[in-house]
Amino acid sequence: MMTKNLLTTVGMVALMITQALAINVTELQKPELNKVVIKIRFENGSISDPKGKEGLTYLTSELINEIGTQNISKSEIDDMVYTMAIERNSFTDKEITTFTYQVHVDFLDQFYPVIRGLLLEPNFTTEDFERVKSNQLNYVDQLIRASSDEEYSKMALEDLLFRGTNYQHMTAGNTEGVSAITLEDVKEHFKNYFTRNNVSLGIAGNYSPDFLNKVVADLEQLPDVTPEIPEPATADMPDGIEVEIVSKENALGSAIYGGYPLDITRASDEFAALMVANSYIGEHRKSYGQLYQKIREQRSMNYGDYTYIEWYEKGGWFQLPLTGTPRHSNYFSLWIRPVQIKDQLVDQYPELEGINVGHAHFALRMALSQIDKLIQNGMSQEDFEVTRQFLRSYIKLYVQTPAKELGFLMDSKFYGRENYIREMDALLAQLTVDDVNAAIKKYLQVNNMYITIITDDSEAEPLAESLKSNMPSPMSYSNALKEILSPEILAEDEKVKEYQLNISEVTVVPDEETFELQ
Amino acid sequence: MSIKPWILSLSLVIGVMACQPPEDKSGEAKGILPYPIVEKKLENGANVVTVPYPSDGIAAFYIIMRVGSMEEVEEGKTGFAHFFEHMMFRGTENISKEEYNEILKSIGAAANANTWLDRTVYHMTGNAEMLEKMFEIEADRFMNLQYSIEDFKAEAGAVKGEYTKNSASPYSQINEKIQEAAFTTHTYGHTTMGYWEDVVDMPNQYDYSQTFYDRFYRPEYATILVVGDADPDQVYNLAQKYFGKWERGSYKPEIPTEPEQTETRFAHVQRANFPPYLRLAYKTPGFDAANKDVAALNVISSLAFSKKAPLYKKLVEQEQKLRSLGSSYFFTRDPYLFSIQASFKSEEDMQYVKDELEKELNKLKEEPVSEEELEEVKSHLKYDFAMEIDNPTEIAEQLTYFIWVSGDPNALNTYYDTMESLTPADIQAAAQKYFTADKLTIATISPSEEGGVQ
Repeated sequence: MMTKNLLTTVGMVALMITQALAINVTELQKPELNKVVIKIRFENGSISDPKGKEGLTYLTSELINEIGTQNISKSEIDDMVYTMAIERNSFTDKEITTFTYQVHVDFLDQFYPVIRGLLLEPNFTTEDFERVKSNQLNYVDQLIRASSDEEYSKMALEDLLFRGTNYQHMTAGNTEGVSAITLEDVKEHFKNYFTRNNVSLGIAGNYSPDFLNKVVADLEQLPDVTPEIPEPATADMPDGIEVEIVSKENALGSAIYGGYPLDITRASDEFAALMVANSYIGEHRKSYGQLYQKIREQRSMNYGDYTYIEWYEKGGWFQLPLTGTPRHSNYFSLWIRPVQIKDQLVDQYPELEGINVGHAHFALRMALSQIDKLIQNGMSQEDFEVTRQFLRSYIKLYVQTPAKELGFLMDSKFYGRENYIREMDALLAQLTVDDVNAAIKKYLQVNNMYITIITDDSEAEPLAESLKSNMPSPMSYSNALKEILSPEILAEDEKVKEYQLNISEVTVVPDEETFELQ
Repeated sequence: MSIKPWILSLSLVIGVMACQPPEDKSGEAKGILPYPIVEKKLENGANVVTVPYPSDGIAAFYIIMRVGSMEEVEEGKTGFAHFFEHMMFRGTENISKEEYNEILKSIGAAANANTWLDRTVYHMTGNAEMLEKMFEIEADRFMNLQYSIEDFKAEAGAVKGEYTKNSASPYSQINEKIQEAAFTTHTYGHTTMGYWEDVVDMPNQYDYSQTFYDRFYRPEYATILVVGDADPDQVYNLAQKYFGKWERGSYKPEIPTEPEQTETRFAHVQRANFPPYLRLAYKTPGFDAANKDVAALNVISSLAFSKKAPLYKKLVEQEQKLRSLGSSYFFTRDPYLFSIQASFKSEEDMQYVKDELEKELNKLKEEPVSEEELEEVKSHLKYDFAMEIDNPTEIAEQLTYFIWVSGDPNALNTYYDTMESLTPADIQAAAQKYFTADKLTIATISPSEEGGVQ
């Protein structure tokens, strides 16, 4: 396996090219494979969207795989993609856009002209533009609000956390922004922001040096424009806990996401220590985390509860992390999956008649009190050892496929690393429990953060009142559950229901008004 | 640009297109899967399957139980197979749930489970050197599960939480209604998640949960599958050591037979601020790897509604009536559904699109597809498969699918052989047999009170 600049890996011709270009190449040779994975990445994401055209980078990258070239029609390309079983996708994150193609070796020479043509001679048409734009508009208008309250709460959190900055809007944009984008905008954006000066190449699998040289030479033909990429915004730390409750019709539960800015990324060696702490308190989709244990396992309140020390793409769908989302601007986050609302609880259990709110307030208190406990007490040597052991094995599963391995290598470079997985493993090996507890003290806190809660319109105001007043929020168990819960759990509930949250502001927003404030 | 020449050499290509299997004395690759499937049953009936695959020290360990929501034959017990999957993480006399979690954590594996109509699958992918530990902890819970009533009641709330998170999607809502409309008698009439009232009642079903475990968590329902850096003899010996004493059961569920559908049925969800949606769901046969109808329906699913299909190009790209168009045909143990789904810009186009979809199906019934078209679909499906299987988890997932629908891992190779043998006449015959109005359920999501599509 190799991940180094092309300068050192290919012959004289490529040497001259790369010297002139300095195109960064990440190689992962696997001659035993039946395919080649090509990742063409541009340092340009949704933060490059002009004001009032939010969603432009996303739309531009989506269109690239929905059009033809000057010489090959879209219809011909679709036919080839189908018959050759090509896997392709475009992915735009905040700071990076990646085009990925997985091509069987039998078709590499036949299909490559398509990749080349789409990048160098794209044929943007009004029909394709209108079609793709319409779907994107539908996503930011309707689907994000109506498909998954969990994903909605996550997007709403970023909207709140980064309000007024280039990190605020969803990568797909917002209603006004997408509506305003024209075909000319897309053509200009592609010319000025997808250029030879911000491109890098990743290639994995069974390819020849000649093929690699050809791709590099073609990337040289991209426009020689230096894109004006804005500085990635950072979020301001809120003063206290600011809660935004999104009120919608017919929500069965309350979906909760919270977070605060974090001044550390994968670039720092301390990240390994924070990984251990995060894994212990809330490893993604694992039952071992403390939050999961307290909220789901012991109290049966929801489907799961997790924490994050960096963006996790599509966590509701994937158990292992995806690639292509490296970011300079980072934040800690807390994901509490939907908990029951009052109306549903009373409907199911008549004995709960008279309760004021459902479980959201208590769940939030439980989550933050657990994080607080970790900050106060730190991890024990034993917990540290087992969590570290888990991570050292588990992170190797992040790179099971060549596409994932290549993606992680490319993301590594964004952070100034060569091989994130390998380097983290080495850092984890050297770590001590003191390192972890120092990182906990340095980076974790529970007093200042943003929280978004998507909930039913019947629950929104009572929940807002409950949070504002910081009144006790006793857990409301059904009789059937209450009678079998251990005294320890019930005693802990008595403490948690009064755990003081540093609430500074609570607002209620109807769902149709989300993503509108700038 | 022509893409024809290589189609002719497809059969040659497929044979060498994946990475070369390791030298393995226990078996040979026989079919589309370029790795040997080594299979041997324990005396108690549990099937043990190993697929050696070079994977840098990683192994995928799967236990496939051929029990799913179709086994939920009793009133008020919908969702129970899925609920029981949750209970399997609640510990045994030997290994408490806390210890189980600690061991899993120490293994550092990606582990989980899932349930659907026909099966419950438990899986972990991790360090191949920890394989024996994986066998040890899995065998213990499959043979000795023991949970308290407290844990049982607590877990019921997590299932309710899962229902709650899923319920936000109108697609979940329409899916529930489609199954209910299409199946009046068979247990495919309810979703795997179950009815809300049954989910709410789960905490009161402790005794029934014991019965469920006793009935179904038996070796005759189980296949133990290992893919990755593992030796078949080692895997079999571990299976014998840890699962050898697992006792057979005697329960035989009587799944009611669905009567022949004789008229078009309807399902509708009223929803504003959501793209209108149409699904045509036709009754289709249960899986049989050698049944040409099954393979033909899968080919049609890929052929007629993909981005390459003329109808897709017309409705999605030229006329732009649709946001998306696609079809799905899942293999199932009993007859289930072939679905065509369309997402609309405007509710007004729903009847027009339904008529266009029907025209396309009628065309398949009236005219045989060309040899060339058929070869392209076969190429797509086989290359798609070859491209997918680049890691032990994915190979295990592919095999798992065939194991749960047929009980036989080699059904994967048999199925692809059947597909390879299809002729245009086979495609036409399947279309004529299954795409009829009396086998159809029309489902819609729109702002209107009723679907309105005929």
